[in-house]
Amino acid sequence: MRSLGELISLACRLFLAGLFLWAAHDKVWDSATFAAAVARYDLIPLGLVNPGSVLLAWLELVVGLCLLVGLATRAAALWAALLLAFFTGLMIYAGFTGAGFDCGCFPGQGDHPAGFQAALRDALMGLPALWLLVLPGRWLSLGRRRERPERLTLSV
Amino acid sequence: MGESPLTRERSSYVLLSCMVMIIVAAAAGLVFNLLTPQGIGWLPSHMAEPQWQAVDLVQAVELQKEGAVLVDARDPGDYKSERAAGAVNLYPEEIKLLWPLLEPTLREAPAVVVYGRYLSRWPAAQVAQFLRGQGLPKVYVMQGGLTDWKRAGLPVKSPRRNRP
Repeated sequence: MRSLGELISLACRLFLAGLFLWAAHDKVWDSATFAAAVARYDLIPLGLVNPGSVLLAWLELVVGLCLLVGLATRAAALWAALLLAFFTGLMIYAGFTGAGFDCGCFPGQGDHPAGFQAALRDALMGLPALWLLVLPGRWLSLGRRRERPERLTLSV
Repeated sequence: MGESPLTRERSSYVLLSCMVMIIVAAAAGLVFNLLTPQGIGWLPSHMAEPQWQAVDLVQAVELQKEGAVLVDARDPGDYKSERAAGAVNLYPEEIKLLWPLLEPTLREAPAVVVYGRYLSRWPAAQVAQFLRGQGLPKVYVMQGGLTDWKRAGLPVKSPRRNRP
């Protein structure tokens, strides 16, 4: 039973790592295009578009790398969950405002229109991150000494 | 009931790790942008060194009355769903493809007023900079977006819906 949990954790970790690294690749390499994609949402002032998009792209890359090697998995999963929750909200906003543009989630990787369908996709992608928050696992993980696989207990 | 020391230690470790990650991401992004040719500055060139002039809504309407062409710099999906009446669509992604088609109209016009989005003003400024680069003498960027245009009671065009 414990092995099954470890296996699911490993699968979740590698899936999210692949997702974030894939998404971050073009954003990091072609910052100008990604900045334009961020600007389309018209949510942040002009002066913050470039630095914000660069930070977001590199955060996705760092989170992806941490998940790939299993370093600080819970923290990486927390970032992944927060980012995916933010993206879900953003896609819902885009859906309500009738935005007719590419979501910018995977630049250079085909059309991914912003809207409710993208929101559902992002919400579903957040489920593995929630699993990793509870059970980060330690198979193929660099951070296994520090982050024990016990369930996270929330007590008040 | 208080937190157990183990839980507190783990929560602190997770939060600390989160902070380290964002600091590493910021530092790496900064270094990458400074050292590589595809790095971007704080502001894009069409905003840092604009060759266009900004106009408010009233001035934009006056210019349109004098014959200026309105250019909608938003994506075609946005343009198709709703636009200022009389506006043509010229957006950054396919500007080089669309420019030859719109060039005669825009060159004949006494002025061109570009609008896009409000907060970022990104596509409008980018398109305006391009048009100035093509030698158009009077290119303006409208401050405000289509929402302000509509709020002022100015005419918009949107697709007709089929009635059942």
